[in-house]
Amino acid sequence: MRRFSGRFRSSLIIGLQGIRARKLRTLLSMVSLFLGVSAVVVVQAGASIAEKALLADLQLTDGIDGTRIVDMPPEPKAADIVISTLRGRADGVATLAVSAIVGEPGVRPVNEGGSPIDEDWGGGMVCYGDGRCEPDTSNGPEGAAIEVRLTALTGDVRVFRPFTQQSGRWLDFSTMPAMAPHLVLNQEAAKGFDRYRVPAEMRVTGASANLTPQFIGVVDDGDPQPRAYVRLDELTNWLSPASLGNGGAEMRVLLAPSTPVEQVLTTRLRGVGVETYVSTVESRKHRQKELTLMRLIFFSMAGLVLLIGVAGILNVGLATVGERIEEFALRRAVGTPRTLLAGIVLAETLLTGLLTAAAAIGVCVAGLKAVSMLIGDSEPLLHNVQFPWEAGVAGILAGIIAGVLGGFVPALRAAGIPIATVMRA
Amino acid sequence: MTDPLIRLTGITKVLKGQQEPRTILDGVDLTVAAGESVAIVGRSGSGKSTLLSVIGLFDRADSGQYELAGQDISRLPERRAAKLRSSHFGFVFQRFFLLKHLTAAQNVAMALVNGQGWLPRRERRARVLEALDLVGIAHLAKNRPARMSGGEQQRVAIARALVRSPRVLLADEPTGALDTETGALVIDALLAATTRGCGLILVTHDRDHAARMGRILDLDAGVLTERVAA
Repeated sequence: MRRFSGRFRSSLIIGLQGIRARKLRTLLSMVSLFLGVSAVVVVQAGASIAEKALLADLQLTDGIDGTRIVDMPPEPKAADIVISTLRGRADGVATLAVSAIVGEPGVRPVNEGGSPIDEDWGGGMVCYGDGRCEPDTSNGPEGAAIEVRLTALTGDVRVFRPFTQQSGRWLDFSTMPAMAPHLVLNQEAAKGFDRYRVPAEMRVTGASANLTPQFIGVVDDGDPQPRAYVRLDELTNWLSPASLGNGGAEMRVLLAPSTPVEQVLTTRLRGVGVETYVSTVESRKHRQKELTLMRLIFFSMAGLVLLIGVAGILNVGLATVGERIEEFALRRAVGTPRTLLAGIVLAETLLTGLLTAAAAIGVCVAGLKAVSMLIGDSEPLLHNVQFPWEAGVAGILAGIIAGVLGGFVPALRAAGIPIATVMRA
Repeated sequence: MTDPLIRLTGITKVLKGQQEPRTILDGVDLTVAAGESVAIVGRSGSGKSTLLSVIGLFDRADSGQYELAGQDISRLPERRAAKLRSSHFGFVFQRFFLLKHLTAAQNVAMALVNGQGWLPRRERRARVLEALDLVGIAHLAKNRPARMSGGEQQRVAIARALVRSPRVLLADEPTGALDTETGALVIDALLAATTRGCGLILVTHDRDHAARMGRILDLDAGVLTERVAA
């Protein structure tokens, strides 16, 4: 152990002396290697950021991996069963969505059919036999109103779909249900209400009266359609649960993996003749193939650039050993073993590789920060993005691999230099 | 009587080149005692450096026996040979072989940072300064070779050879690149080591330097003979 430590320290000391003595060469080696290591770091960072962003998007829309999803056709009896089965449970949340129009009474919403605010899905056209089409005015004239999908929740759905709060607050399920239902909007709905200052009156088909909603927050739910989330018990103050199971509604239950509720729920629904469709969220698995392929392609490109860097370090290493033949022969003459000579050369290339890796990582961290600051506001993917630690590890590994590959042949050559060289000089 | 420090018996070395094999050392017998100084003289190509290579374990003899301090080391693996070179031998060459990017002290320390054991920095520095002091240039410890004269550089090389307190100093024409006066100073430094019990084998063309050694040996066509004092 002591001997190993002595050799290790000796090779480090001599390696550092060698680097200091040949600063320009070391710099040139680093320049040729810098691009390769940077390519590896950038590819790894890009892949990690893209993968995280992709999975985060999928989690918003589909749910966290492993979540069990039970879909069923909207039927009044199904709604009753779902609500009663999930009441008071934290391992499952039912989402029941209906259409709601918020705004002036008796007018058509600006986004009829619940389309995204800037899109026109073309709802409400009446066409005649002669081919003429004109807007359907039977629902009244277009006015200051916005149509949203109103999603009633039996519990906190963020356990399964990690919405990101944009402003305000989320629904509080622990308080008494209010008569004026609290609504949390998604970003698209918030955009509509921001653009059109509509009166806050909400029409829901089947409700006993028009409601007065309270907007309490905005979340990013990954949905391009305007949507509002409400506590089910606040909505059912005005609407019977059976109405939530009418045509046009959506019924879905999100469950924790391996909860007993799943079996109870599906059995009860099957008992009343409601067919269920159960699936598991496996976003990562479904995307794994394309993610792996994407990584492979980019890493191959980065590997090629790294290889060019290795060739550079190898070239400089061989030239340096050729220049230092007398030094290595002399070191052998004073008792330095061949293995230590090889170690000295490897230590130099390894240190060069590690220094290059540190520089490349530093530049990439700074670059990412600069890009995030400059275009982070317009590009959500880059907003407040953190440098992924995997990219740092990849950079260090690339530096080590390049150092070892680039130093291996020169190390062998250094170890093979005959001592008699100094006698013949 | 104690064993001699070095005993060579019937050492033969044949150079197997592209043409006919050429015998460089032909049954060389040599004994050197501790504290003894020996000069080996001979014409160019007579095998002096080859003999020094064999003694210093740079090279192996083809046949014959080599005993170092009573131990037969005729057939040594390279790993053990490196260890013996570090612990028993000090080398001085015609060219000084100082690394120009290192200071005099760092050049001397090179023999201590060679993977054969580890000395703490403070002890290393003390031994380096002691070795430089022995050859009278401790004040030049921080100078780089480019700022030293030839004689000073050779004395740094001698300090490097002495820093591990070797039992034998092997010097291959150490004054070849120096003027007569500086050469004499270098020989003084080498001879000073013999007073501390270190054996000295000096290969030289210079008759005056050879005459200052205890014994003079002639090497001619690979055969070593002792020159009898007139």
